Amino acid sequence: MKHPEDCIECGTCVTVCPVEMVGAHAIVTFLADPDATDYSVWLCTSCWRCHETCPAGVDIYGLMMEQRRRERAPARYEDAFERVRASGFALEVSQEALDQVRVIWGLEPVKLPPPGLVRDLLCAQK
Amino acid sequence: MTSQRVSELELELAYYPGCLILQRMPEYELATRAVLKALGIELRIVQEAACCGAPVAESFTADWIYLAAYNLAQVERMGHDTVVTLCGSCTNGLTRAAQALKDPGVCAEANRRLKPLGLSVTGLVAVKHLVRLLAEREDDLRARIVRPLSLHSVQGKPLRVALTNPCQVFRPGDVMGANDPDDPMRPQSMRRLVELTGAEVAEYGGEDECCGATLYLAAPKLSLAAGRRKLEATWNQGANLLLHGCGNSHLLLRRFQPAILRDAPELRQQALFLPQLIGLAMGLPEEELGLRKGMWR
Repeated sequence: MKHPEDCIECGTCVTVCPVEMVGAHAIVTFLADPDATDYSVWLCTSCWRCHETCPAGVDIYGLMMEQRRRERAPARYEDAFERVRASGFALEVSQEALDQVRVIWGLEPVKLPPPGLVRDLLCAQK
Repeated sequence: MTSQRVSELELELAYYPGCLILQRMPEYELATRAVLKALGIELRIVQEAACCGAPVAESFTADWIYLAAYNLAQVERMGHDTVVTLCGSCTNGLTRAAQALKDPGVCAEANRRLKPLGLSVTGLVAVKHLVRLLAEREDDLRARIVRPLSLHSVQGKPLRVALTNPCQVFRPGDVMGANDPDDPMRPQSMRRLVELTGAEVAEYGGEDECCGATLYLAAPKLSLAAGRRKLEATWNQGANLLLHGCGNSHLLLRRFQPAILRDAPELRQQALFLPQLIGLAMGLPEEELGLRKGMWR
């Protein structure tokens, strides 16, 4: 991964990162130290604190997502994405189970997206 | 007079059900509907909504924008210009997608993909999280607080609420807070809503620390460690109730508590969703708030 040119390596992002607070290393470790290798772009809580506080305005979230798309994902991420593609949601649910939940709680019925919808939207031919 | 007033403003808004609320936390939707109904607002659920796309699909493809655009297109088909959200991640994903659709090229490609489905999108829909919707109606809410929670106790002690701000609702500030004066790093709107109910807010320092839920897919142990850090902080400040405005924080800090606190069950905390707390202070029946009868009186 290429270190962003506009980053001034000040480490502000490290101080606000919840992943760093529990002793692990996220992309912010690499931003503060371009020689660091013990970090993962998959370790992120999507809290946007690093992105918000960066004094140089580096698009940290965007950089992280671009790098994720170049790397192999952790198995749970792969599985979740496969479920999104297949069923429309990262958490799988059946129409029957959903209908029951809505009746029990007295909530209006809701239809799930048609199967294959997400796959088509993401893989549309140019 | 004011507390008995029937709201003259009847408003219908679209409601996007994210995966967590739809499948795991119907009580959050139920309580939201009850509180909004008292304010004269009806929610119309977006039918055939799919995953918002962030952060799972976004981690694999830049095309996640079109998945979010599909959901916005469904809102537009309903004829609504505002969609209410209850979680941070879908609020964030849908708002960023609406922003991206301002690019004519992105918008044209989204419409090309949506056309076979009989849908079209402009991206002009406003995505509004419940905290913001309620914060705009503070005066109306204040007038409806008939049972201030200042008198409420939990196991003999005054109620002290440890809130977690739905972080992704407020950041990145340039996109999420374009029309909001709240500070993206230390938003105050949820806190003000809690104070309206009369409940005391515990200053535990974790209000703006991410709950860690989104980390679970990549690193379950770290995710639970982040939750543990927050739970310990709530105890250190004498809090006795967690309060959530997002399904993710409720998932980690409440539903995963047994896993987080396997070796320290004494640190367990009760948790409510923001509209459940507000609804109690409004005197709404517990069953309308998804609460077991007698638990909160």
